[in-house]
Amino acid sequence: MAAANTQPVAASRAVEARKRRQREEELLVWPDLVFIEFISAVLFTVLTVALAVLVDAILLDRANPAVTPNPSKAPWYFLNLQELLLHMHPALAGVIVPTVALIALGAIPYWDNTAEGQGEWLSTPRAWLNTYVGAGVGSVGTLLLILFDDAQHAKIWEKLTGTDWPIPALRNLRAIQNEIPWPKSWLKVPLGDKVLRTDLLGLPKISLNINIPGLIVEQIIPLSTMVGLPILLSIVAWKTKIAQTKRDHMILQFSGFIAVYVTLTIIGTYVRGEGLALVPYTIFAGDH
Amino acid sequence: MAATESPERRSMGDRVYDAIFTNRLWRSIFRSGYPNTPRNQMLAVATNVFLHLHPTRIHRTHVKITHTFCLGGLSFFLFLGLTISGVLLMFYYVPSVERAYEDILALETDVRFGQLMRNMHRWMAHGMVLTVLMHMMRVFYTGAYKPPREFNWVVGVVLLVLTLLLSFTGYLLPWDQLALWAITVGTNMVGSAPLLGEPNRFVLVGGFQVGQAALIRFYTLHVIGLPLMAAVFMTVHFWRIRRDGGLARPL
Repeated sequence: MAAANTQPVAASRAVEARKRRQREEELLVWPDLVFIEFISAVLFTVLTVALAVLVDAILLDRANPAVTPNPSKAPWYFLNLQELLLHMHPALAGVIVPTVALIALGAIPYWDNTAEGQGEWLSTPRAWLNTYVGAGVGSVGTLLLILFDDAQHAKIWEKLTGTDWPIPALRNLRAIQNEIPWPKSWLKVPLGDKVLRTDLLGLPKISLNINIPGLIVEQIIPLSTMVGLPILLSIVAWKTKIAQTKRDHMILQFSGFIAVYVTLTIIGTYVRGEGLALVPYTIFAGDH
Repeated sequence: MAATESPERRSMGDRVYDAIFTNRLWRSIFRSGYPNTPRNQMLAVATNVFLHLHPTRIHRTHVKITHTFCLGGLSFFLFLGLTISGVLLMFYYVPSVERAYEDILALETDVRFGQLMRNMHRWMAHGMVLTVLMHMMRVFYTGAYKPPREFNWVVGVVLLVLTLLLSFTGYLLPWDQLALWAITVGTNMVGSAPLLGEPNRFVLVGGFQVGQAALIRFYTLHVIGLPLMAAVFMTVHFWRIRRDGGLARPL
């Protein structure tokens, strides 16, 4: 008999039983996890070596600042930003959007702090539905917006009817600036150097002149598209009961974001050729 | 003497086993015996500096490949592989505008296994960007960012940025047309930021255009600055997984 057990009798047999059941659900890390890690490491070493033997890393001509290749492209994981650059103000596409996107990404757990649906793949009731809807709307929407800015609707109209596109101001985004007879005074609204006090930071003074049509086309429309469409998506999904909980909306928006990111990357990589026109392109084709 | 207490002859296997796993050398390296009993298996994990990143026991569901697809582990594995192949590449590479491109050519033609090393480094780098992104998606879709794991998600986002920066800085080093112009396009994006964009771009590139100053800056960041930062954030990342109760589990 177990002698001299001074421990108090367990408060509840149920607690004891639960603990025992949890123990039974557990495995030892050695060997059960360590071996999986080992096998996976071996597998990926073999795969990497095989890939490295079969496919050589690309090396073009020596760097020459005097010869600008056409097209010049950023590394593939930044081609989504370079694609955005074609449709809006560079500060918005190159800096503000990625910064805001990263902050929003980091803020996800502080926003959706519900406990449901942890530890299992898409385990909440409408999780898969929201993934499909978010990914579908994100990819198709991005594609349509890019095709619009490339005036594809006008080109198709012209091909089908044989006549010019009837609304020149809606040929693409830039046409809103160029084809609408904006008042002359709107093209240069002087704000002087008292608005942006860069001199306080020790930087040169900036005399701010605002080109209102330019501002609308390069900043206001892209910004309201990028903010408005996701909000609209969430509202529609909420009204149609596709997304009901915080987690639903989170999955919807995250899936949309990933789809937009992937779509922009694919288009920036494979469908932007000379002059960054919308044509099939591969870097391995000509100059390797 | 009772036959059951001490058999006259121990088998050959037993004697070899004892010679390998119970001698003083083995014991001086591994404090526990060979991990063939539950006790020694737990000690093998708990007393090993590398393995003790893991708990000694783990829930059954977390060993299922489809739960994680090993993506976080693979990212770390690729980071280690990149460190090893990167060190080997450093033997042959001088970050100077005059020599860099020739060094890469020499690596491909004169150095034994040079092309293989460069290829592995390149493919592992692309692979790591992919596995880190997919790891983020795995954590999101399994809801593993929820409390108490919020902060580790933020650390993960920092690691994603560091991974992209590591890849971006390495992109310039071969000093070919692809490298020069990709970095020119990339750093011009930084330059387009309102007010502080141009000064930032100047600091990053070390001048008005991508040249020697940019090459040495990117090289230093690539081989020491960013890897150290990544190592620090990875330490926090792994530590927090344990502190926050291991992998997320259904309620």
